[in-house]
Amino acid sequence: MTAVTGYEQGKFGTISTYFQIDDSWKQRTGKGVSVAIIDSGIDLTHPDLQGKVLESVEARNENKRVVFVPSDVGDTAGHGTACAGIIARIAPDAHFHSIRVLGAGGLGDGQSFLAGLEYAIKKRYRLINLSLGTTKPQFFAPLHDLLDRAYQAGCIVVAAANNLPQPSFPSVFSSSLISVSKSEETDPFHFGFRYGEVIELTAPGVNVRTAWLGGGYKSLTGNSFACPHIVGIIALLLETYPNLTPFQVKSALYAIAAENVQEDQSTSGEK
Amino acid sequence: MSETAESNLEKKLRNLIETIDVANALTEPLTASIENLLRVTASEMNSEEASVLIREGDKGDLRFLSAIGKVADQLKNLRVPAGKGIAGFVFSSGQPMAVADAGEEETFYAEVDKQTGYSTQTILATPLRHNGEVIGVLEYINRIGEPPYEAFTPNEMDKAALFAEAVASLVNAYELAKLFRELGDKMVEDEKIAIYSEVREWLGNLRSAAEHREMLDLAILIREIASRGEAERELCRELLEAIVKFSDSKNETSFLSY
Repeated sequence: MTAVTGYEQGKFGTISTYFQIDDSWKQRTGKGVSVAIIDSGIDLTHPDLQGKVLESVEARNENKRVVFVPSDVGDTAGHGTACAGIIARIAPDAHFHSIRVLGAGGLGDGQSFLAGLEYAIKKRYRLINLSLGTTKPQFFAPLHDLLDRAYQAGCIVVAAANNLPQPSFPSVFSSSLISVSKSEETDPFHFGFRYGEVIELTAPGVNVRTAWLGGGYKSLTGNSFACPHIVGIIALLLETYPNLTPFQVKSALYAIAAENVQEDQSTSGEK
Repeated sequence: MSETAESNLEKKLRNLIETIDVANALTEPLTASIENLLRVTASEMNSEEASVLIREGDKGDLRFLSAIGKVADQLKNLRVPAGKGIAGFVFSSGQPMAVADAGEEETFYAEVDKQTGYSTQTILATPLRHNGEVIGVLEYINRIGEPPYEAFTPNEMDKAALFAEAVASLVNAYELAKLFRELGDKMVEDEKIAIYSEVREWLGNLRSAAEHREMLDLAILIREIASRGEAERELCRELLEAIVKFSDSKNETSFLSY
């Protein structure tokens, strides 16, 4: 184990300027880490998620402005529940803040999505799961601004890549967030990093068995389900190294993925 | 009613019928094409059922526009409330999704299965986009053959995205045609209101004419005879045919006499 060395007093507290990680994070549970899930809501009654959702709000359109009000709707689509279920399986002690922007009715997708992200940044949630995106060019600039604000506020935003062959925002932004696409890998710890690609990380996203509505489970395929795997991993890292900056988290993920590749190579060499 | 007024009325009625015909002719070939495309692509996807849902209103609700498969007729025009189920999510998020064991979910598909008696097991749902806007959802359900069905793969998800582009063009054309049809319907409705009074007046004149009254009396009499039984109907027909024959021969004689 190599100790983390070098600290600096930053705008938002003490940050490490140099760090090296060991494997102790793999034994953690995400305790004390807040994860905001901007999605279709979370089924609060699901056995995997009971008592883990500290806040549940939903977007409302009031006088052409999006406001967030406490919500007891839960989740009518299942998507947000599925994402939370994946995170809870990797980081069972992390707690959630559900920001429901889909299925709230009557709101434009980009408008409520943007407002949801802004809400999470204002609340300074440490980790934000964004298994959503928009392809509308008019949202490029405002989302870019918001992501920069998130980065500066120390919020780690993880976004799913578009499943369709066209860029979606914010997943194509490189510097201010972590973007993920699906792989057929099944081990959540065995994610990949493709340095230099638009979407840098790959994580399990094919036939992922996770929580669904009505207390059940589903096997789901899509980039949306790769994203929460990385969020779960980051929750473990943040419990172990609470002061990591978004940039450091990305570097750590890169280092872990590189180790995964080395392990693969040595395993295949042994065979 | 004067002769000119009668000819105007006839013209208006003809316009009305033509407008209805054109309005239907706009959307019908498109729905047929969407259905054909569903059939071809479902076969490519090794899928048993396929359907197209389109937006309904501005609250994010969906409606089945077209479907193929065992429960196609029951699905058509069925509505999905905003954000509900897999289709609702795919529509509101614009992201495709595959679910391997959909039937167990306690949302829309379970409700539809209860209504139709069908068993939804595996779904691939992908958004239909036109000019960056999500205008509907394309779904492939279950596999050809017997269950248990294999889940849809990431490659099939990519393939479905390509099919969705073609379906979206037709759906967009359908929505445009529907706009024209609604415009046509409105024109027909306005025209109907305008000519209702004219038709009523025309029918009133017709009924009040002495000749028409006599014909009506005769029709009532024949109807009464016909209702009494087969023998009466047969006798009535023979008598009427004899009268027609007599009348024909009388006309012929008259003609010759000139």
